[in-house]
Amino acid sequence: MAATDKNGRETTPRGASGQNISFAHRWRGYKSHHRATLSDSLTKMLREPMQTLMTVLVIAIALTLPAALYLTVENVKALGSNFESSAQITVYVKRQANSTAIETLAGQLDAMPGVISVSFISAEQALLEFKALSGFGSALRYLEDNPLPAVFLVQPLVTDQASLAQAETIIAGIRELPTVDAVQIDMGWLQRLHSLIEMGQKLVLALGFTLGLGVLLLIGNTIRLSIQSRRDEIIVIKLVGGTNSYVRRPFLYTGLLLGLLGALIASIMLFSCLMWLSSSVETLANLYQSNIVWGLGLMGFLALMLLGATLGSGGAWFAVSRHLRDIEPR
Amino acid sequence: MICFDNLSKRYPSGFEALRNVSFTMEAGEMAFLTGHSGAGKSTLLKMLMLMERPTSGNLLINGKNLNRLSTAQIPMYRRQVGVVFQNHQLLLDRTVFENVALPLQVSGYPAVEIGRRVRAALDGVGLLDKERERPMTLSGGEQQRVGIARAVVHKPRILLADEPTGNLDPELSSEIMALFRRFQSVGVTVLIATHDISLINRMQLRIMRLEDGGLTDDGATYGGY
Repeated sequence: MAATDKNGRETTPRGASGQNISFAHRWRGYKSHHRATLSDSLTKMLREPMQTLMTVLVIAIALTLPAALYLTVENVKALGSNFESSAQITVYVKRQANSTAIETLAGQLDAMPGVISVSFISAEQALLEFKALSGFGSALRYLEDNPLPAVFLVQPLVTDQASLAQAETIIAGIRELPTVDAVQIDMGWLQRLHSLIEMGQKLVLALGFTLGLGVLLLIGNTIRLSIQSRRDEIIVIKLVGGTNSYVRRPFLYTGLLLGLLGALIASIMLFSCLMWLSSSVETLANLYQSNIVWGLGLMGFLALMLLGATLGSGGAWFAVSRHLRDIEPR
Repeated sequence: MICFDNLSKRYPSGFEALRNVSFTMEAGEMAFLTGHSGAGKSTLLKMLMLMERPTSGNLLINGKNLNRLSTAQIPMYRRQVGVVFQNHQLLLDRTVFENVALPLQVSGYPAVEIGRRVRAALDGVGLLDKERERPMTLSGGEQQRVGIARAVVHKPRILLADEPTGNLDPELSSEIMALFRRFQSVGVTVLIATHDISLINRMQLRIMRLEDGGLTDDGATYGGY
């Protein structure tokens, strides 16, 4: 039977757990050191509030700009996808085609890859619709026969530039079909919208990259100054046996905190902008009956925070690895 | 414990700070290193701290050749050594406690252990009541004693001191020497660089004399200056 203490709990023999205790001890020491370093970095940042605020604001603005552009592009894309349903190919059937030929054509159109749906309007239906809509009803009575052809409305799948190109091949294929008289399409403006969106996406990347590099350099410079002002401290730490990673740690934490704070403020700035714009955006969305993506969302927020954290610690790492080597006790 | 084997140090400028220095110190031994300023005392201590590497010759600590230590191994080595600096090298924006705790913090000691050891070290130098103060509010002697507490708080096997009694009056100097004696008595190897002749004269210890980078005199020939 295992030994039990007075509370009835099992007690372990001392010798076996000796190693574990020392490891747990070390781990606790390590954790508490990280906590202490983090709070120390925060304290040092708060000791120079204006300096910190300026840095954080510049980071925030540099993150807000590409993020705002990204949101704009995403929303335009969402608007565009609404119009894509209107990318229709109108296929005019030859007048002399009989009902079997029309049925064959319907089958052929349906079977084409990249076609979402095909609907048929017979010549009679077309005439009725025309009468009802045009107001020429009585005048049409004088015509001997129906001047309107039967029509297929073909809806191609259009989501991006690539599928637009695919739609072009669909159209070419339809033109080849024997019972087809003419094909009419209007996708030029959709093409333009898509190239605009693509350009916007590239702009987001370019702007994001440039400003991200700016944030990296800014944080790097802030950390460099901080390293210089703590030169004596670094030397003493190295003299008493502090490793390079020990010396690096507070600066990496400072960079991380700066990046995270910048991203947080960027999110707040974006959110405020959206609030300010919300009423006009809602009107716009209603006009286009669009389900607009709008805000960053939780994932977007997390992505922005991650970006801030990466840039912050990256910039700090960059500065630390460049400048810490120069500081050795002499 | 400490073994200098024909060690020389020549700086890139051509200045030869140490020439063929050879001596051995046993564990628990205490010795003075003396000589005029510029004779190589500081360079010799820097060798022991691995702040400088020898141009030729070897330095063995506890049988281990320091030349074979990589840069990454330097911190671990320095944790076995305690140093009392001439200008005490205290961090002025930290309290006495935090200054003394530094060697333990860099080695990853848990907070409770740090508190216990720092107070023991401060008690040893008679400054337990000053732990919350900043170095600037202390007298020169007190600052020096904080430096000593920091040098011994992690129980090093080697204690180096560079002019530890630099600007102190004789009474304070003897107090500090008594402290060093106590560490020696528990087995710490103590090497004190000084040109304080009166101090040397008062203590019956081994004296090593450096002159122009060379060891000219090594023995228990105290006094006689």
